[in-house]
Amino acid sequence: MIHDHAKSTSVANHAWIRARKLRKVYRKALRDGVQEIVPLAALDLEIARGDFVSLMGPSGSGKTTLLNLLAGIDAATSGELWIGDHNLVHMRRDALAAWRAKEVGIIFQSYNLVPVLTAFENVELPLLLSPLGRRERTERAMEALTTVGLADRAGHFPSQLSGGQEQRVAIARAIVARPPLLLADEPTGDLDRESAELVLQLLDQLNEREKMTIVMVTHDPRAAARARTRLFLEKGELARREEAVP
Amino acid sequence: MIDLNVLVRSGALALRMLMRSRVRLVLTVLGIATASFLFTAERSVRDGVREATQASAQETRLIVYRANRFCPFTSRVPEAYVDEIARIDGVASVAPMQIAVSNCRASLDVIVFRGVRAIDAERILAKRLRIKEGSLADFLARGDGALVGSALAERRNLRVGDRFNSAGVTVTVAGIADADGPQDRNACYVQLPFLQSALGGIIGGEVTQFEVEVSDPSELQAVAAAIDRRFANDRAPTSTRSERAFAARAAEDIVTISRFAGLLAYGALAAIFALVANAIVLSLEGRAREFAILQSIGFRAPSIAWMILVEAAGLSLCGALIGAGTAQLVLTFGHFGLGAEGVLVEFRPSLAGLTTSMLASLLVGVAAGFVPAILASRRGIAEGTRLA
Repeated sequence: MIHDHAKSTSVANHAWIRARKLRKVYRKALRDGVQEIVPLAALDLEIARGDFVSLMGPSGSGKTTLLNLLAGIDAATSGELWIGDHNLVHMRRDALAAWRAKEVGIIFQSYNLVPVLTAFENVELPLLLSPLGRRERTERAMEALTTVGLADRAGHFPSQLSGGQEQRVAIARAIVARPPLLLADEPTGDLDRESAELVLQLLDQLNEREKMTIVMVTHDPRAAARARTRLFLEKGELARREEAVP
Repeated sequence: MIDLNVLVRSGALALRMLMRSRVRLVLTVLGIATASFLFTAERSVRDGVREATQASAQETRLIVYRANRFCPFTSRVPEAYVDEIARIDGVASVAPMQIAVSNCRASLDVIVFRGVRAIDAERILAKRLRIKEGSLADFLARGDGALVGSALAERRNLRVGDRFNSAGVTVTVAGIADADGPQDRNACYVQLPFLQSALGGIIGGEVTQFEVEVSDPSELQAVAAAIDRRFANDRAPTSTRSERAFAARAAEDIVTISRFAGLLAYGALAAIFALVANAIVLSLEGRAREFAILQSIGFRAPSIAWMILVEAAGLSLCGALIGAGTAQLVLTFGHFGLGAEGVLVEFRPSLAGLTTSMLASLLVGVAAGFVPAILASRRGIAEGTRLA
């Protein structure tokens, strides 16, 4: 059962992620002036810690831009974006990188594994930034690969894996540092139905068992249905919010 | 603050990623190795020229040549001058010497025969040469005996007892000797009367030059001037120079070649710069996503720049190791030398040359990676991951 809060901005009492008048403008130089593209107009948004959120909306509605801002890999033009105690809008690039290493795992639609590294080495990458020793890094990477059911593919290169397996390795890489926030951009977009289901089950598990907050951009209504909160964006603003009633 | 642990790990990661891109690695390293080979070889030519021709304040040896003659075949001075030179103040010893060369012009394989009197062999050669095989006694006992310099023996694969012919002179190797100077290492000493006779001259008649040792290095020029003054109005006026100044004049062509080769060395360094920069820039175009992925994971911009610099250093160092190492081996076992008018310039490998080549390649390689490293570290992450 779904509860509808159109344009609601204060759903959670203890919002962990808070966006206030979040605006992103891209400026494109043209021959006869500058064209402004505004994927996010003045977005207000709150997401509770531990929530599983799907972001939906037509192309150009600002979903991916919002995900980039949440990941700290793009900078807002104005407004505020708080995640916990951090206002990402005012953080410098290096501080964002350090924050990202601890707090965020990102899953891309096109997997984005490093092709010259094995599955194990790809998963181990985020741990290279931690103070963990080699043995602990190996244990954690193998544990993450076991979680996604690919411990036996640790030595395989991405080119030796199927699309579904590559995405599961990408998930293992995203969770290996045990970040509290998992961002997924169309994680099932390039997968067949069976692989997509496996990936969604994994996300369910991570949300329920590991209490990870998940924000997932998707066009797939079946994928969106797995989320507890569904946010619909239109023209850079939050158009509708739906919450599954337990 | 940059974490040292992260620097070490990201450096190791960069090298691992480089090793896995084999085609790029092999092609770039081969190019750098070729350039580094040229650079190292040129260094050895330059070092050889310097060793043979650079003046030193400690020099005590003068070469007395026939004035206005530049080739051993045309320099003829009476052997009888020896006593008059010996009487000049400041002269410690004097040795008449007949020179015969297999090729007067600049050549890579020249044999220089040096005819010395038996008395001078005992007095001078015993000091200058370290006999490794055979003996001075054997040399003196045989009329056609030859004391062969170690570099020449290795180049021609000569052993004691071998007979060989060059420039119409046939000798038997009576000893093989090492020496500090390149001229001695590459000479073939024979007895003066034997060489004079072999060349169709009169024994005790004329010689090519005198080697004069002065007692005080500071008197070198004064003694040279005194010798030339003494014979200025004689039938065979002389021109006296320090041994290295003499070598520099005789090997003028080689010095010119060496200067030109110096330009090639800079060209080799430029090639290394271009190769590394090209390899890095091209690979960055294809690997923008890789670096964006690393940044999305939390790698900071300085770490990305560091990884690219490590990669550039790895490529250039690997190429330099192969190129400079091969050049050292070729020069060590090839025993190359360039002779002109009886003066020999050796191309000798040295640890300093190897180190200079490696350092030059490394510095140039890292410099070539610097701008691409900065550019790559500043690229947008979102566009790199195609997240946008």
